[in-house]
Amino acid sequence: MANSEFDWPAKPSVLGTRINRLDGPDKVTGRAKYTFDINRPGMLYGRIVRSPHPHARVVSVDLSAATRMPGVKAALLVRDFSGSQNNRVMFQGDEVAAVAADTEEHSIDAARSIKVEYEVLPHVTVVDKALDGTAPAVFTGGNVRDGRPAQAGDLAAGFAAAAKLVEGTYSTQVITHTCMESHGTVCEWAGDRLTAWISTQGINGARENFASALGIPQANVRVLCQYMGGGFGSKALSVGAEGLMCAKLAKAANAPVKLMLDRKEEHLATGNRPSAASRIKAGVSADGIITAFDAQSWGTGGAGATADFPLPYIYQVANRSRSHKNVFTNTGQQRPMRAPGHPQGSFNTEIIMDELADQVNMDPVAFRIKNLPPEAPNAMWRSYLQEGAAEFGWNKRHATGDKTSGPIKTGMGVSINTWGGGGRGPSPAHCEIASDGGVIMRLGTQDLGTGTRTMVAVITADALGLRPSQVRPEIGDTLYGVSALSGGSTTAASISPGIRVAAIKALDALKEKVAPALGVDAASLVAAGGRIQVENDPSKGMTWADACKQIGPQPIAADGEWRAGMSSTTTSGVQFAEVTVDIETGIVKVTRVLVLQDCGLVVSRLTAESQCYGGVIGSLNFALFEDRILDRNTGQMLNPNMEWYLLAGMSDIPRIDVRLKDQPERGVIGLGEPPTVSTAAAIALAVRNATGVTMRSLPLTPARILGAMRQAKG
Amino acid sequence: MVAVAMNSVANQPQSSTAAKGGLEMATKDDSSDGLRFNRRNFLRTTGLAGLAETIAAPVELAAQSTPAAVGPGDVPVRLNVNGRQIDLMIEPRVTLLDALRTRANLTGNKRGCDRGACGACTMIVDGRSVYSCSTLAIEVQGKQIRNVDGLASADQLHPVQQAFCDKDALMCGFCTPGFIMASVALLEKNPNPTPEQIKHGLDGNICRCGTFSRIFEAVSSVKGGQRG
Repeated sequence: MANSEFDWPAKPSVLGTRINRLDGPDKVTGRAKYTFDINRPGMLYGRIVRSPHPHARVVSVDLSAATRMPGVKAALLVRDFSGSQNNRVMFQGDEVAAVAADTEEHSIDAARSIKVEYEVLPHVTVVDKALDGTAPAVFTGGNVRDGRPAQAGDLAAGFAAAAKLVEGTYSTQVITHTCMESHGTVCEWAGDRLTAWISTQGINGARENFASALGIPQANVRVLCQYMGGGFGSKALSVGAEGLMCAKLAKAANAPVKLMLDRKEEHLATGNRPSAASRIKAGVSADGIITAFDAQSWGTGGAGATADFPLPYIYQVANRSRSHKNVFTNTGQQRPMRAPGHPQGSFNTEIIMDELADQVNMDPVAFRIKNLPPEAPNAMWRSYLQEGAAEFGWNKRHATGDKTSGPIKTGMGVSINTWGGGGRGPSPAHCEIASDGGVIMRLGTQDLGTGTRTMVAVITADALGLRPSQVRPEIGDTLYGVSALSGGSTTAASISPGIRVAAIKALDALKEKVAPALGVDAASLVAAGGRIQVENDPSKGMTWADACKQIGPQPIAADGEWRAGMSSTTTSGVQFAEVTVDIETGIVKVTRVLVLQDCGLVVSRLTAESQCYGGVIGSLNFALFEDRILDRNTGQMLNPNMEWYLLAGMSDIPRIDVRLKDQPERGVIGLGEPPTVSTAAAIALAVRNATGVTMRSLPLTPARILGAMRQAKG
Repeated sequence: MVAVAMNSVANQPQSSTAAKGGLEMATKDDSSDGLRFNRRNFLRTTGLAGLAETIAAPVELAAQSTPAAVGPGDVPVRLNVNGRQIDLMIEPRVTLLDALRTRANLTGNKRGCDRGACGACTMIVDGRSVYSCSTLAIEVQGKQIRNVDGLASADQLHPVQQAFCDKDALMCGFCTPGFIMASVALLEKNPNPTPEQIKHGLDGNICRCGTFSRIFEAVSSVKGGQRG
């Protein structure tokens, strides 16, 4: 790639430094307005009526009582159930009707008064029963669908070459996104123009959703999301039935409507991470090469949704075979959840790795190194494993099973991760510099809480020689332009190049204005330390404020787009975990986690580190606590709340050390997904190392640990 | 009926490990009338089998001292929030959180679970942190209520707020107001908490983005109510 003035700077001023999150003060004071906080004059409150049954035919819906309830302004069916088609609800929580009333309390009363007659139908919610054929046939075309099989090499020859074999069944559970801010929308119409505040990972996609579903031009829809309380993938792909019903209720009532889901609705109907299980037989040679890997996998993504995941994960196996079954169940559909497929693939792969290593008496780090793909800038596991092992004190790790006396056993585990991420165009950005010195960087992206707003300011400030606080990022509004949805760790890499290009073009225009006043050539000028000055003679220059006074009444405006070479794709990371296990109670405490993670050019170091902390804690939750528990007979979710759907609290958090591995030469990549992939497997392996018992299934609850230990004793 | 007797107290120890392992840590319910409950601990300690029995007790106690019934329909409620008097006409069932959020446009504190489990709604009432989602507005008349909207003075952040900004102790920020209020309540009660006391004091709050490590750093950096 030829050098260009837009290339990332060799000596950045702000890029990669520790800048306080720009919207921190707004968030800590409560000034930041989330969708949930939008209160409009005359606003009504919407509420959805949902199926209590996992599978039923809607015989009739009577809205009349609801329309007579206090404060009710609109009551609507989600769709027409009267025909013979499309009249079934397919999971507990499937949408049936919706109401809007003057207060939230009235909307709840009104929703309760809607009479829905159901013909309850047989359901399938237990995956094992779907697989063995004992569940009722619910889905047209079968409850179980074959995924695409994959083969490589010669499996029989691989097993023949093996010195040892390991066979096991591994599984991870369904978990839900549990965003702190529920899915929700505020819709306000003016004629056939719609303004929607929505908690979304993609404002432009939401605009298209609203327009096409409501039959209005996209130009008539404005979508705003200034702040959102987490998405983790569940708010990426669509505005959902809840978004559309909000718009329809607002139209019917001729008033703004706020419709925020409650916690139970969140668990049931707004997505989840699919389950993932596999039966694996693997062979290993005496010198520690995996010679064969034969896997049959399955998982459920809910009612009509797939549940695929990579297997084996990252490690190279010449001779392998894999088949997969997607099991449809009468449960809410899966949606992408932070690193879709990877945490599942990681767990299903990494556990057997340590079992194989033990078979040939190899250290798990050495065994992993032996079976990795070749080292490359986007595949740095070898180096990170060695460096991390040294820092973590891996040489103090005992062999499988803590032999010390007493009930508290200690253990260590390690696992690796990868993610594609990467940038794509056009991802335009627009920069304005005004005569008062103000700088606006405007683009149609959104900040999920990852720190996008801060990143916009950091890149702009770095290019203009300013502090980030001197830049006003304008995002989260479809009036600000078109940008892609935020998902799959693509936002940073997509938007960063365009921001820099726009800022530098604007700066070039400013230099042209300033050069005559200084009596120098514009090309000799640079922006640094809040000044525009001659590169080799800083005394010839002026402050930013004075420079901008040359601009005149019409601000400088410049546009930029994503450019190849300024972003890259694919990260690598390694995580080490240390645990204690109380073998009398089965309680696991994670004591230490070490993260080695690359993400290309680090734009904003403080927020990048926070992504890693957050990823680790999310994966710790996956390992120890989270579980969508369904009643085997009724198919009802037993813990659709936050007291029985367990999440870590402050006392559950280990010491976490984050080592960002800078690769500035690769450009911006993205960091949302990778750090949440592998902690769970590292924890499970640390538990194995502590107890000597292999935990092949998540979550690692005390009951499961005690059960597995009892079973191992025989 | 039961809800009237239930005044949820935030910041009880409720780490998931303790809950999952069945370990009970001592509660620190310091209420004087003995009627106050933390719903989560209540459920955890009684288990489902003891539910009916335990519910009966507070109803009986409440009945002995219950004033005349109010509602249904709107009733006048006078609240003192952040030193300001707010007069509302609301149904008796409206929670403190919803009263402030939907009737007074004080939207700083959030609703995460609506069941006294996540702590996003944490406010300070007469110096004690409470789950405002599980506290009725009519119950806290005559008390000094503080939520996050009133914490900063003019352009000056409260030291806890500043510490959260400096340590990047927030990501999406939705749980942050609750964590801030819980931290302020903790530090006002105990200006120099030990690491264990900080963890214990904030175990009633949940952050989904996973900012706990830096919240711990932030709160640890505020000593004696000041940054040190």
